[in-house]
Amino acid sequence: MADLYDRFGRLAYSVILSVVRDPSTAEDLVQETFLRVWNRAHAFEAGRGALGPWLLTIARNRAIDHIRSVGSRMQKNSYEFDASEHPSLFVDMERDVFNTDHARIIRKALAKLTENQQKVIELAYYQGLSQTEMAEQMGQPLGTIKTWVRAALKVLRGELGQGTGA
Amino acid sequence: MTCEELRHEYGAFALASAEDPERAEILAHLHRHCPECVAGVRSAVATVAAMSGAVKIADPPKHLRKRLVAMVSPVPSRRRFAVWFPWAVAAVLALVLLSVSIPARFRNPNNTATAQARFDEVLSILKDPVTKDVAFGDPTVRGRFFVSSNKGVVFIAAHLPKLDAGRTFEMWLIPASGKPVPAGTFDALGDSTAVYVRPGPVVNVAAMAISVEPAGGSAQPTTTPIVVSKL
Repeated sequence: MADLYDRFGRLAYSVILSVVRDPSTAEDLVQETFLRVWNRAHAFEAGRGALGPWLLTIARNRAIDHIRSVGSRMQKNSYEFDASEHPSLFVDMERDVFNTDHARIIRKALAKLTENQQKVIELAYYQGLSQTEMAEQMGQPLGTIKTWVRAALKVLRGELGQGTGA
Repeated sequence: MTCEELRHEYGAFALASAEDPERAEILAHLHRHCPECVAGVRSAVATVAAMSGAVKIADPPKHLRKRLVAMVSPVPSRRRFAVWFPWAVAAVLALVLLSVSIPARFRNPNNTATAQARFDEVLSILKDPVTKDVAFGDPTVRGRFFVSSNKGVVFIAAHLPKLDAGRTFEMWLIPASGKPVPAGTFDALGDSTAVYVRPGPVVNVAAMAISVEPAGGSAQPTTTPIVVSKL
């Protein structure tokens, strides 16, 4: 656990804090994240799985789950989170994505998004808004929001060299 | 829905922004290991995970590392042992010897639940790494709540007040916002102690409470709780 925390603790805390914006809550959620990873490590393919992306996905999910619960905005979607953080999704994924170069690349990629694309990514990633909530907040049709989300992720994927996809 | 119809929602799903029916459909496709959807969601999850590289870095408090390492340490620290052991023993003894209260909806209708099963149930809550141990105490009632978000709640108390006929104790799960949720009724033993177990997940709960209610329990508290403990 010490090694795991030394590798990812700072980043996990930063991701969670960027969402919940409360240091005390962030501490609890970091604890929950690492215990979840610890208890599920047996399901993870150490040789093929990307531990960092897995752990940080769990961290963000815990944070989003928390702010939704506190705000009573949406039903808790633990099953959805379980699905999006299933260890099998992280097999053969790029692992070395959290070094300085990566931070520079992702910031550069985000800067290439249009203003609206940046806004929907920010609302989704940091505030955990659903696409309907984004549409309401931005005063735009749901279809437009979906288009912006899709386009934003396509740009990011391209800039990150993750190939083409949906 | 087909994979072709869902492929545009993989990104929103990875961001946890997708909604039904697409969200439910993607979950169903993942559940049956649909290769196209697994690959699409995997790609989207990778992109979303990569975004963590853009967050502003903050330093966590130093005690957090110690706390985490201690929680998974195979040898409990003296402090943890000292805190947990007497209560674990008390709970288990009470279960085995005094027939602990279990809410009716969790009871085996054939009354075949054994002391061993109850023993295991309490221990599973006590042993869960995420269990919160919340003590309370005033000049009268003293005790603890052990609250596992995964497994349930164990409540142990002494010096509970004597109740009039037709009254009972009721546990409440209090969310951060919204009304208290009833978590079952129980009675104290002759020496004014009680051990009560409420099995099952405990989610979105900010505090625990105990109040005195009419026999059979209430849908909402009708008296001022005798115990309220923030989690």
